[in-house]
This record gives sequence, structure tokens and C-alpha cells, in this order.
Amino acid sequence: MSKKNNETKASRWGKRAVVGGSKQMADEMEKKGSVEEIVSPIRQIVRNYRERKLAMVALFIVIAMFLLVFVGPLFIDNYTDIYKESLMQNMPPTLSLMSVPDELANDIKMIDSYSNFSVGLSNSGKVYVWGSTALGTTGKDMEDIPEEILNDKIAYVAAGYDHALAISEEGKVYAWGANKLGQYGYFDPAEFPNIVSMPDEILNGTIDVANIKKVTCGYQCSAILMNDGTLYIWGNKNTYANIDKFVGKDDLVDIDFTLNYIVGVGKLRNGVFAGQRGLYDQYHATFTDKAVAASDFLNGRKIQSIAATCDNICMLLDDGSVCYTGNFNTGLVETPTLAADEDFISLGAGARHYTALTNKGNVYSWGANVLGQADVDENAQGASDIYVGSFQSYAVDESGELQGSWGYKGAIFGTDKYGANVFHRIIHGGKMTMTIGAIAVIISTIIGVIIGCISGYFGGKVDMILMRVTEIFAAIPFLPFALILSAVMAQMDISENAKIFLLMCILGVLTWTGLARMVRGQVLAARENEYVTAAKAIGVKESRIAFRHILPNIVSIIFVTLTLDFATCMLTESSLSYLGFGVNYPRPTWGNMLNGANNSTIITHFWWQWVFPSLFLAITCICINIVGDTLRDVMDPKSDRDK
Amino acid sequence: MLKYILKRIGYMLIVLVILSFLMFMIYNLVPSNRAYTDAKADVQSRKQLMQGMTEEQKENYFNDLYLEYQRQYGTDTDNLLIRYLRWVGVSPLYYGNYNGLLQGNLGYSHEYDKPVVEVIVEPMKNTIFINIFATILALVITIPLGIVCAVRKGKKLDQAVQVGSIIGYSLPTFIIAILFIWIFCSVLKIFPTSGMSTPGSNYTGWKWFTDTMYYLALPLITMTFCSLGGMTRYVRASMIDALSMDCIRTARAKGVKEKVVIYSHAFRNALIPIVTLVVGWFLGIFAGSLIFEDMFGLNGMGKIMIQALRTADFDLVILLQLFYVAISLIGNLIIDLVYGLVDPRVRVSK
Repeated sequence: MSKKNNETKASRWGKRAVVGGSKQMADEMEKKGSVEEIVSPIRQIVRNYRERKLAMVALFIVIAMFLLVFVGPLFIDNYTDIYKESLMQNMPPTLSLMSVPDELANDIKMIDSYSNFSVGLSNSGKVYVWGSTALGTTGKDMEDIPEEILNDKIAYVAAGYDHALAISEEGKVYAWGANKLGQYGYFDPAEFPNIVSMPDEILNGTIDVANIKKVTCGYQCSAILMNDGTLYIWGNKNTYANIDKFVGKDDLVDIDFTLNYIVGVGKLRNGVFAGQRGLYDQYHATFTDKAVAASDFLNGRKIQSIAATCDNICMLLDDGSVCYTGNFNTGLVETPTLAADEDFISLGAGARHYTALTNKGNVYSWGANVLGQADVDENAQGASDIYVGSFQSYAVDESGELQGSWGYKGAIFGTDKYGANVFHRIIHGGKMTMTIGAIAVIISTIIGVIIGCISGYFGGKVDMILMRVTEIFAAIPFLPFALILSAVMAQMDISENAKIFLLMCILGVLTWTGLARMVRGQVLAARENEYVTAAKAIGVKESRIAFRHILPNIVSIIFVTLTLDFATCMLTESSLSYLGFGVNYPRPTWGNMLNGANNSTIITHFWWQWVFPSLFLAITCICINIVGDTLRDVMDPKSDRDK
Repeated sequence: MLKYILKRIGYMLIVLVILSFLMFMIYNLVPSNRAYTDAKADVQSRKQLMQGMTEEQKENYFNDLYLEYQRQYGTDTDNLLIRYLRWVGVSPLYYGNYNGLLQGNLGYSHEYDKPVVEVIVEPMKNTIFINIFATILALVITIPLGIVCAVRKGKKLDQAVQVGSIIGYSLPTFIIAILFIWIFCSVLKIFPTSGMSTPGSNYTGWKWFTDTMYYLALPLITMTFCSLGGMTRYVRASMIDALSMDCIRTARAKGVKEKVVIYSHAFRNALIPIVTLVVGWFLGIFAGSLIFEDMFGLNGMGKIMIQALRTADFDLVILLQLFYVAISLIGNLIIDLVYGLVDPRVRVSK
């Protein structure tokens, strides 16, 4: 007896809601061989629902969205809320950052990149550009390579943040891309005090191509280093404050750009020159090693070449080892340890990673691996040359054919104003939005059902008081009140998680009134049913009748309201976050990803930053509403008659 | 009837008092102390006067000032109930005078350095104007559309409108606004993005009106569009209910023209829920226009409120909040009364 009781206790709720009380009767009739097919209510509902194609599609999309936002995050490695990448801000949707053009792929002379686009040069002297080539709001596109460059035979190329350089075999220096901030061309020093203009000999004359040692570009700045140590350098002083220290310098053997400093190596090869004492004079053998003063560390060894990422510099020493100076982030992939007879022979730096080739033909990548920069392609081993882009590396064999490439392909939905992947933020934001919506709706349902049940079942004074309370809550203008509560909450000294939880509570507490009224109405109607009278006659306690006998019979209606309220809560959370009173950056939600999107620059130029979050939010809400609406229709026996 | 109205008003006042108390409590959760900041500011500005003083004297001077301000603002007690009563103007301040809401002291905005009333007069005019305009526009569109859909229930047009209206009310208003800004300002370039009049202009009369309408056109279109979905569905639903009534069948059986049946018989019956909706919705839009005003840079109450929240100008916030609450309570009262007027079967006096 007791066993059977337990069984029914566990399943009674569900059974009543799903099957209804007449299941047993139906079974008996079936046994008797009744002519009419008898379908349980739930089956009828499912059958009706499946007849509606739109609703089925909507249900499918809702489930897919749930899976995407709750399972999706498990598949996104290296995601952090606060991730920022200054070189990738506002990058349009693309997956082409690493797609070397086919024509170039078997004839590579050099590849360079500093930000989202890459420039390549074939052995036949032709220039190629790939990647995300549109330059922000300037309306310029790096793909529009000037005619004269395409017609000329080019010997060197280099790519900067928003411009690129090409030097022809005759020594003519070409440049294209953005040029408002001194990237190339002539700038009158009187009018533009913060720009170092292109040197005259480059503007109007040619340079000795055979004598060029290195051509490199940085953030709106470019440098050409000759074999005799002469340096041509020009660009924007606001991005590289130490550019003055390099103008007219003629004793350098190497030069490179970090994000904020130009760094070079003098003829003595005994240290990094940045025009400022104490900036780069502490060296490390690995990222985490203790810093040692430069002269002690080198101890007579000479620097062969340097490669600079955005925030640190790697030096290749004449004994084939490497060392570093600068600032180091956490979570870097450590420098590879080489076998005793293996030496690095060439070294390149991207924006956050290093790639090097050893004398045994092994290729290593290390440094940041957030975008997969350090996962070396297996085909790359045995390469004869390596080229390092901003977030990519390319290995090339002796004939100039591309052996392998690895690194960042791009963001399918582009990047936001901080350079974070919009798609990843949408998935993580969806998780937050849906969690908030779900918990808020659960809170509101619990309050609504309890108050509605009590009020409807007991009636009289209890009903009067509870309904007045409901009316007070219903009289609260929702959005202003939610705003003031969130604003007050923001002023309080509590953790972000607690704030989010409070936000859920606020949404829940402000939305329960409709449900409570509806449940009350339903209970009032259900109270008159025979089974309630029967239960009373047996002597079942009143609270038990209200919650155990009546409530299961109105579960379906509650479920519909819950579905529709879920969409409403999600929308409210998004509106609050959009206004800046909900969840705040860096934590993403679909609403706060749109924060600041009512600005015409973002709307026209950076459309991916608002289109995709809006689409996800809109599609999810529309589908949830369609599902809820259809459920209500199919559960209502009257609507069947109408058809 | 009169008795009923009085009863309702009495009840409304009770709710208003409860809500204002609630809001005052929330407002007191904010860790801001005006008496303290004012006293600090005074001390800063009177540095010269205090030059000769010792540390202790300075301390005492500050404490005196602080206490003085506290007494002035009525915050010299920790008892929140007394503070609330003082704020309302029922309980006397330290000096025995009353200075609360009932005495006409609605607060002082520190951000604007003006009494709160002066701050909100102009925005309130704008908000009311915008809302009335948008309501009328929405009604003109939704009522015929809803009727047509109800009459042709299940036909292609109806299905299309049904899907469209689900999309309409599922989209958050700010997404629709962004979309419309993109379409009308960036692609078509017909309307300005934000503002209420041409900057620097000083038009009067007709010129002022056309200029204002040019700037308000996009917000009004957006607001109207946002309310289409929900309202069309509502009108359609009540019209369907009305069309399935017995009196309609009788009218049809008598041979009354279909047009007369729909517009004279059915629509009158459908009007009852619609009236409720229109009043409720008109009041709801006050709160809803908050987002539009913020997005389109309109000088309305919503924008003032969001700004006040951002700058923690809580005197302003609490008054606006009270306004919203009052509007919603008055709205409920009007709905009940109108209900009785439109539908003679409803006896409001019970």
C-alpha cells in the first residue's frame, strides 16, 4: 500500500496535468471496445500542435537556441568576459584573415600584417591583399591597390595598422590605405605638429633597393632600414611618442614596432634602444623568469635580431637562444626548449605571439594562444622560411610554396568596439539573458501561483486583502520602477553576481500580478467542480485541496503564461541592460551588447555589432511567443470548434 | 455613482500613500547624504573664514553646519517613518515648521540647480504631446486593421497580419528603433537621428511646427509601429468575440447588410474592451516612451528620468516616479468609469 502511494505521489502532479482524471475511464472504455477513439488530452494537444508548421519551426528554433547558449559555451575555449584586443576593434564579419590567395600560395616572396589585413608579395613582384580589408569608417579598402603598384614590379611590402607600403625594384616607395594621420604622403610640419612627414627622398625620389635591410610598418607609422644603418621613418607621433628619437638615426641594425614604442638595436648589438632609459633594460630568458639587468644577462652575447609584439620584445641572440623584455600578460604559452644542438635561426612576431624556425627546420609558435596562434600546423615542420602576421603564421618551403598556416581565421559575426568576438559574446550573453529570464519567470510564477491559489480558493477576506496587494503591485509602472530599483542597486556596495540575482528578483516581483489574477479566476471556476466537493466530503484539508487537487488541473494554463512571461522577462532585462541599468559590461547580455548602438556610426558602419545580437534576441522572443500562443490555442478546446 | 467614485478615489489615495512610502524606503537605500555633502561644500567655500581655526574648531564648525543642514532637510533622525512623514509634510521639522509635498515643496534638483517642478514642466508637455499623437496614429491604423482581420479570420491577410503582429510585439522597442534609425536616417536619409528642433534655430508659428514635426516624425513613426502588434491583436480578438455573439446571428438572419452588422452591431460590442485597452495603453505609453526619448534624444520626462538616475539626482527621480504611479492609478480609475459608461450592463456602483 505504502509503496503504491509513494509511486502515485511522485507522479500524481504530472499525471493529472497530462492525462486528466478520465484516463482510467478511457482505458475501461477502450477495453470494452468502444467505437470512438479516445485520445488523452495531452496527446490531443501534441497532435494539434504538430499540425501547425509555423509553431513546430518556432519550437525547434527555441530548443536550438537553448542548446546553443547553454551547451555552446562549453565549446568555446579561451573565452573571457573582459577580453580586449585593440588591433581588432570593429572588425567586420570575416573568416578570411588567413586565406592566402591561390595565385600567391605557390609563389610566396613575403607576407606581412600588423592588424586585420595581410599583404603578400609573389616572387614575380605582384602584390596581394587579404583579410578584413575595409578600414573602419574611412570608407577606404585595402583591397583597392593603386594601379601603379599593380603595374610595377615590387620588391618589398609591409603592412601597418591601416596602411601598407610597397617598394618597387627601381626603389620607388608606394603606399596605400588611410592617410589622414601621417601614414604616408606629405604633411606640413607647421600645420600638423604631431606628424613626422615622409622624408623627401622617398616622397620624390627612389631608394637603393639592393641596400634595404628591413621594411616594417606599425600603428600609423612606417620605417625603412638600410644595410648601412640609415633609417627612414615617418608616421603619427600620437601613437609612437618616441619617433623623434629615431628620426635621422643612422646606426641601427634592426627595428620593430610594439603598440606604443618604436624599438631598435644599435650597431653594438648590446641592447634594445627605445629612446628612453630604463624602458627595456630588464631581460628575461622566458616569460616567467626573474628579470636580470641587460648587460648582466647578455654577458658578451650579441643581439642578432629583434621581433616585437604589441607589448614585449623577443631578441634572438648570436648563440641561437632567445630572451625577452617588456610586459607580459598571464596565460602565455611558454618558450619552447630546444635540443642541445638545435638553434633558432629566424624569428618573427605577431601582435601577441612569436613564431621561430630552427636550424633543423622545426617551427615553433608561442606566446598568446587565445586565438590559436600557437597551435602550429603539422605541415609546417621542415619549412625553409616563416612569415608572421598579426595573429597568423605562415610556413613556406624552398620553392616559395605555402606549406602550412595557423592562427586566427577571423570572427564569423565580426568583433565589437573592444575587439572581442561578437559571436562568442552572443553565446555567453544569451546564457545570461536566458538565465535571468528563466529565474525571473520562475520567481514570478511561484509568487503568482501561491497568491492566486490562496486568494481564489479561500475567498472572502483573504481574497480581498490579497487582491488589493495585487492591485498595488499592478499599479506600479513597470519600467520606471525597475529602472529606479536597478539604479539604487548599482549604488549599493554588492558584488556583480548579487546584483544580477537581485535583478532577477526585481523582474520576478514586478511581473507576478497577471498570473495571480488568472490563477485566481481559474481556481474560482475549478472550486465548483464535483471532485472538489468530493474531496471536501472525504475530509481533505483545504490547503491540500487548493494545491494538490485544483492546482494540477490548471497547470497547463500556468505553463502557457510562463512561456509568454519568459519572453517578456527577457525583453525587459534587455531593455534595462540596453539603458545601462541591468547587467553591465564586461558581462555580456543580448541587451547590453546593444548599449550605445543608437549611434549612427555604429548603425551604418559597424552594422554587425547590432544586427546579430538583435537578431538573436528577436528570433528567440518571437519563437517563444509563437510557441506560447500556439500552446494556448491548442489547449483551448473552444478554438478547435472555431476551425 | 458618486459614492462609487469617492470610494475609488479614497482607495486610490491609500495605494498612493503605500507606494510613496515604498518608494521613499527604496530611495533611502541609496548611500547618499545631502546634508553631509552640502556641509562639506560650505566648508570648502568658506576656507578663508576658517583660516585661523584649530583642527578641533574646524571639526566643530563642520559638525554644526552638518547638523544645521540635517535639521533643515529633516534628516536629523534615523527614524525612517518620521522622515517619511516629514517628506510628505505631515510631521514638523526640527524648528516646528512643515515643509513637505503637501506644502508644495516637491524637491530640489541638484543637477539642474532648480526646483524639480521647473525642471519637468517643459519635458512633461513634450511627452504628453508625443504620446497623444502616437496614440491617435496607432488607433487610426489598428482599429480598421483589427476589424478587417476579424472579419476575414483565417484568410491570407489575417494570417499575414497575425504573424506580423507577433513579430511586432515580440521585438523589443529599442531594436525597432535602431532598425528605423538605420532605415530612415542612414539608408534613406530622410529624417534626422535625434533632437527636437534644428540646432540654433529660433522658429515661431508654422515654421516652428513644421520643424518640430520633421524632427518628431521618426520617433512618432517608431512609437506607432511598436504599438501596432499588440493593439491589432487585441482589436481582432475582441471583434471576433463580438462577431460570435447571438445578436449578430440574429441581425444577419434578419437580413441586415453585412457592413451594418460589422460596423454598427459588432463593433459597438467590441468597443468595450477596446476602450479599456486604449486608456490603459495610453497610460502605459508614458512609461514606454522612456526608451524612445532616450534613444531619439527627445526632451521628455523619460529622458529626464534616465538622466536623473544616471546622475543620482534622486529628488527628481522620486517625483517622476510618483507621477508615473499617479498616472497609472488615475488610469485605472478612468478605465473603470469608462467601462460603466460604454457598457450599460456593467454596474459600477456594486
